[in-house]
Parts: sequence; C-alpha cells; structure tokens
Amino acid sequence: MSRAATLQIRAAAAPPKAKRSAVGRLLVAAAVIFLTLFIVLPIANVFTQALSNGFAAYWQVFFPPATDPAAHLTLFEKHQLADQAAHTWSAIRMSCGIAAVVVPLNIVFGLVAAWAVTKFRFRGRVLLVTLIDLPFSISPVIAGLVFVLWFGRGGIFGDWGTRITWPDPASLSWQGFSGHWWPFTFANSYTGIIFTPLAMVIATAFVTFPFVARALIPLMDSQGSDEELAALSLGASGWRTFRTVTLANIRWALLYGAILCTARAFGEFGAVSVVSGHIDSNDTIPLRVEKLWDGYNMQAAFSVATLLALLAVATLIIKAAVEFKTGHDEAAASAAKE
Amino acid sequence: MSIEVRQISKSYGSFQALNDVSLKVESGELVALLGPSGSGKTTLLRIIAGIEAPDPGGKILFDAADVSATALGERRIGFVFQHYALFKHMSVFENIAFGLRSKPWRQRPSNAAIKAKVEELLALVQLQNFARRYPAQLSGGQRQRVALARALAVEPQVLLLDEPFGALDATVRRELRRWLRKLHERIRVTTLFVTHDQEEALEVADRIALMNLGKIEQFGPPEEVYERPANPFVYGFLGSYNLFHARHDGAGRGQGETPPTFVRPHDVEISRDNADGLGIAAKVTHVGFAGAAVNVELLRLDDQQHVDAALTIQTYRDLALKAGDQVFMRLRNPHSFYEDYAI
Repeated sequence: MSRAATLQIRAAAAPPKAKRSAVGRLLVAAAVIFLTLFIVLPIANVFTQALSNGFAAYWQVFFPPATDPAAHLTLFEKHQLADQAAHTWSAIRMSCGIAAVVVPLNIVFGLVAAWAVTKFRFRGRVLLVTLIDLPFSISPVIAGLVFVLWFGRGGIFGDWGTRITWPDPASLSWQGFSGHWWPFTFANSYTGIIFTPLAMVIATAFVTFPFVARALIPLMDSQGSDEELAALSLGASGWRTFRTVTLANIRWALLYGAILCTARAFGEFGAVSVVSGHIDSNDTIPLRVEKLWDGYNMQAAFSVATLLALLAVATLIIKAAVEFKTGHDEAAASAAKE
Repeated sequence: MSIEVRQISKSYGSFQALNDVSLKVESGELVALLGPSGSGKTTLLRIIAGIEAPDPGGKILFDAADVSATALGERRIGFVFQHYALFKHMSVFENIAFGLRSKPWRQRPSNAAIKAKVEELLALVQLQNFARRYPAQLSGGQRQRVALARALAVEPQVLLLDEPFGALDATVRRELRRWLRKLHERIRVTTLFVTHDQEEALEVADRIALMNLGKIEQFGPPEEVYERPANPFVYGFLGSYNLFHARHDGAGRGQGETPPTFVRPHDVEISRDNADGLGIAAKVTHVGFAGAAVNVELLRLDDQQHVDAALTIQTYRDLALKAGDQVFMRLRNPHSFYEDYAI
C-alpha cells in the first residue's frame, strides 16, 4: 500500500516529458508575433523617432539651448525651441497636477466602494458592482462629451457650471499676515468648469475610477470580514480596525490599483481632449504630443511621447513587483481559509 | 458569568435560522452547541457574540444584564473563529497583544505589562517560543491556540468558539479538544463552542445543546443526552443505529401500532449458539475491520433486514466470524420513542 503510494507520488512529481505539440508552438508563436507587432515595435519606434535627430535634439525638446552653445541656431529657432519647451513643461506640470488630485481621490473612492461591496450585503449590490465598471465600458470621448453636455453652456447644470468661480491651485501664493488670518491666497481664479483643469480632473477621475476598486474587490472578497470582527470583538475601535487590519491586509492591492490608476491618469486622452477645449495652457502630455504631431514636429512629438513610454515601462516594473506581493497575500488569504 | 438566551429568533429572508430559542448557560460551564450544518448553531453563537442581530423580541443576558443592544466590542466576549482570523501581517506576539493595545489609552497597560501578559498567555497555550513567528509559519493547531490566547488576552467574561477544531486534521483535533478541556478547568471562564462533531461534544462539554432546524432538541449533560435521548433526532445524531419496525407476531396488533425500536451497533450481540432460544438467526454478509472495532453486516433470516453490529476485536477473534457464517444476535438497550418518530 505505502509502496504504491510512494510510487504514485514519484510519478506525479516527475514532470511529464516536455513535448510541445504543434498547437502549443503555434500559440506561442502567435503570442510572440502579436506582442512584437503591437507593443515592442511601437515602443521601439517611439524611441527611434525621438532620437532620429540625435540625442542633442531630443534633449532640446525639454531643455532648450542657452545662447552660447546654440550659436548655429537663428534667434527665431531659439525662441521657437524655448516656446515649445515651455509648453511641454506646462503639459508635464498639468499631467502631474491632475494625477496628484485624481489618484488620491480615486484611492478614497475605490476603497469606499470596495468596502461597501465586499463587507456588506445589500439590495442593489450587484448593480453597484456593475456601475463601478461602467467607465471601462464607456468610450472616454463620450464621457468627456457628457461632461460638456452637463456643465457646458446650455447644459443641464450649464447655468451653474459656466458661472462658478474657483481658485487656481497653481496660483497659490504668500500674502503675509497683514490684514489676514490666513497667509496664503490664490492669485488667479477660473470661471466655469468646462475647458478648465477642473473639467479635466473630473473627466480623468471618471475614467480612472474603476482601477482601485477593481484591484481591491477580489482580495477583500476572499478575505471576508472575520479579521475585522475579531478586531472589533477585542475592543478595537472602528478606525483602529480599519487602519491596523483592513488597510494592512489590502495595502499591496491598493498600491497596485493606485499604480494602474496613475498610469491611466497620465495616459488619458479622449475624455480630457474633449473637455480641455484644445487650449494650449490646458494641455496634458498626451494632448501635447498630439499638438506637436499636428504641427508636423514629429521628432518633438515622439520625444514627449517617450515620457509616456518610460512611464509605462516603469509602471510595468512596479506592477510586476506589486503583483508578486499581492499574489502572496491572496495565497495567504486562501491558505488561511483552508 | 452566566449566559441566558431568551426567545431568540433569526430569519434570513424566508429562511428561519433560529426559531424561538431559549438557553441558559451557568457561570463557568463548558457548553457545546451541537448540530448538523444549517441547524442554526453558528447563528446562535454569533448572536450571543453580537456579530449578528437577532430578530426583534428576543433577549441576550449576561448575568442578568441585558446585552441585546450592546455592541460587539463592549460585550467583553472572546470569539474564536473557525478559520482563526489571525492578523496575518502581525507576529504572534502582536496578535495576542492586539486587544490590550486597543484599549483606550487611560486603561491601556504599559508595554512591560503587555509583554508580561502576552508571555503568560503564550505559556498557557504552550507557544512560548513562537512569539516572533507569523501566522503563516504556524500549523493549524498552533494558529488556533494563538487565536484562543488572543481572545483570552482581554479577559473576556465569556468565551465563544465557532467550530474551533473544524479545520484541523483528526489527530490534532483530538489532542486539542483534550487540551481545551484542561484549559477550561484551569481558567473556568464560561465557554460556549459550536461543533458538528458529536464525539467532540460528548468528550469535551459539561452540557450539550443539540440543535436541529433552528431549535434546541435537547439540553443536558453528555451522559443524559446519549443515554436518554429526547427524540429520534437526538438518538440518530449521536451515533449510528439500527432501526427495527414492529414485528408482526400477532400479539401487539390489537393495541395499535408499535413504534420503531432503535439499537446502536455496539448493542447488537452476536453468538454462535442459541441456548436461551431468544437469539435472532442472521447471516454474516460482510466483515469490515475499522481499527478498534470490527463492523459486521448481518442479514436477518426471518425478515431479510440488514443489521449493523460493532464488535470489539476480542469478541470478533473469539467468534472467528467470516462472511457467510450463520449466527444468532441479541439486542441490548433498545430505544423507542412514543411520540412522533419521524426522522
């Protein structure tokens, strides 16, 4: 009996002779060809085009030459380069600013949504889960258009949406204490929502909403709420339970969702394109790439696009690392269940 | 601290999980809530803990104090989950210290006091050398002991265990249930545990509440529940049995129907001879060896009914039974239930 068992185990442990079938080879080849055609080649193309005029030209897209080393350029060319670089930097700042607002916002929304959906059973729960995925299934351009129809002139919230005045956070400045109890002030303000950065934040927040919730829901579902109940039964407050138990258990999945959310926030084009109104000062990195491209400035367009490509590569690396961690967490969760 | 449950009902939509249940557990008792799955035992435990709210109308009392409206965290209960629910990212030490560290800062013990308390508890659950380990590095039995230590750290008035050994293998389970019994004798905190394993309940508990379909069928000490089952369900749940319908020998017919008779397999006696003439002739159809006992399947020769018998190894050897033998059997300890006997 025991001999038979050992033999069986040995037989199972020995890997079957690696004999790839024709179908297996075909599938692997198809996957490799697909990846090459649709991912590797485009990224390589972005970099070759960006560096087509040499590294110096690539560098000048972001850091225009000062007077002396660029003596071979005409004054007009120098101004043009400086002007374009200023626009590029403005786009980079805008993208970073939008991400800085949207990502924390969606971390909070995603946490709340995932919490509600996984820890409670209520009427309409399935509907809510579907709604969380809605931004995935709606074309971002349409989403942008909906915001225009809401807040734009003649829209449903048009009266309010075109008249509202809000301070420009980028214009925060020091005004001192004389005559005020609050030493900061905003030098500029915006009127209206559509075609301002606020609309872009709203559009980006909508498009990137599902990432955090999607990353959290499966993990929180598999973890159940026993640990939270245990913490509560030990006399921990709700906040302490959330902080030390819930948040600690989902931290890697949360980071994973936040990374994806960030990547999407930087890459978002359609919705932002519609609500930005194609105003230069509203450009984000993808919009800036489009404008450079439309201006037949291929090399500069690809140079700015390398930023997004590099961001994508960095995201992939961090994502892989975090996935490795969450994989462990989920395995631990299911192991604890057994 | 005694626990009293008064007329608790709980329904989930159309499903009635608990139906007007009342129960009183005396202070310091170790009581098992025993029943098949879906009998409402876990629901009752969770309602006592305050994890779930009963339907309006019922009451939960801890020593005369009504705690029905008290929140989970304020009932001063220790709850141990079937799947341990240890905090994965915390060491064993931190897991046990969690309750103490969660106290409002006025009542929170100093770090030295927490350390002393945790070490005392680690000694109690025999895990002194495991303080720095993480739950993932422990075996199932060790995890369950950590969960118990964690629950005991806040000095609960009542200890509630939900299928505490349900996720463990048979050997560890047997070992742990003995250990739980000993632990309870030492700390004497009122303990209520849920189990679907009748052997576990009979061995560990002072009293057993046997539940079925949201009701308590019988509540009493193990001997009483086992020896004097209140109804066929209790009899059937506590062990295997043979069911004998009334024999049509003419005598009983005039006085209405005779209820069926239940006999445990180990109460079926087998002999080779029929000296007193009371034995029932039967044929051995199968002999199954099951460790300490030998299960013998018999076929009655008079009405062709199958009967299971459990013999000790010794008897089995003395009789030298094998399939096909013709023997005589006698029934000891027959049980009959005069009211509704539907199972």
